[in-house]
Amino acid sequence: MNAHGAPARTTRTATLTLRGVVDGAREIAPVAIFVIPFGIAFGAAAIEKGLSAPLSVLMSTFVFAGASQFAALDLWASPMPYLMLALTVFAVNARHILLGAALAPWLLHLPMAKRYAVLSVLSDPNWAQATRALQRGETDAGLVLGSGLLMWIAWIIATAIGAVLGSNLGDLTRFGFDVLMIAFFAAAVVGQWRGLPDLVPWLVAATVALAGAWILPFGWHVVAGALAGGITGALRHG
Amino acid sequence: MVDETTALLAIALMATVTFLTRIGGVVIMSFVPITPRIEAFLRHLAVSVIVALVVPAAVKGGPTAMLAVATAGLVMVLTRSAVGAMLAGVACAALLRALPI
Repeated sequence: MNAHGAPARTTRTATLTLRGVVDGAREIAPVAIFVIPFGIAFGAAAIEKGLSAPLSVLMSTFVFAGASQFAALDLWASPMPYLMLALTVFAVNARHILLGAALAPWLLHLPMAKRYAVLSVLSDPNWAQATRALQRGETDAGLVLGSGLLMWIAWIIATAIGAVLGSNLGDLTRFGFDVLMIAFFAAAVVGQWRGLPDLVPWLVAATVALAGAWILPFGWHVVAGALAGGITGALRHG
Repeated sequence: MVDETTALLAIALMATVTFLTRIGGVVIMSFVPITPRIEAFLRHLAVSVIVALVVPAAVKGGPTAMLAVATAGLVMVLTRSAVGAMLAGVACAALLRALPI
């Protein structure tokens, strides 16, 4: 989750071994367990929105980005608002660009195919783990691949469980699952706090998003708030 | 109701966009050195996305959601555990709904 304190340390080499894959998976296992309630909640929410169980599992398999999948469900309607869907998914997942950029000095030493295989399972938890590994001098990108694969498998299986049990789980809001995502995001925001200079960009993002939620077409408030916060931050620090 | 072809197209679109964000950082870094200003933009963009998601969702979710978010934030400050914060937020919402008010 830490997008700030990741020095893009220049490494001279990068490898990708099976041993690294196994070690990465083992190291991330405790975190992967906590992906399961998210996945179940997503599967159940997708069924509520009228997606079939196979389609919701398909989405989790090929998208593998929980927040953007929840956001997509909000836009899931006929006719499909494709442009808004693409922009919202991009806005929610744009942080991946930064995460990837931070790993670039390492991953650029890998052959193209291996590099993109590792990046295709990039997510916040395994990025955080990879950053720590990089700092202690690891060169094996298999760590990122292995941890990402385990998170991916957990996400797919949990989605399937949620999609199948969906209607039998009853009203998930009763258990407070509907606030799971915003509680997690709230924690992520607090975890990103680096002191007072962050306050103004965050307030700008919050204000624009909040105003946008009422005055902009549905879904655009996240894009608007994110850009406003990003530009404010760039102007103040650039 | 969204028909299957539309759903498959939408999923393909989401998958493509998401994959491009995953590889985008490395691709950009292989061509363009990220200036301090662009880095500051990306860094604040990343957090601002989350802020822009949370605040309207909490406000629209009413008092229960706002209290749950506040609880999660507080637990995060105290414990630095995202998982603990998440569970505390969910427990808070469940508790509030169980109360006869």
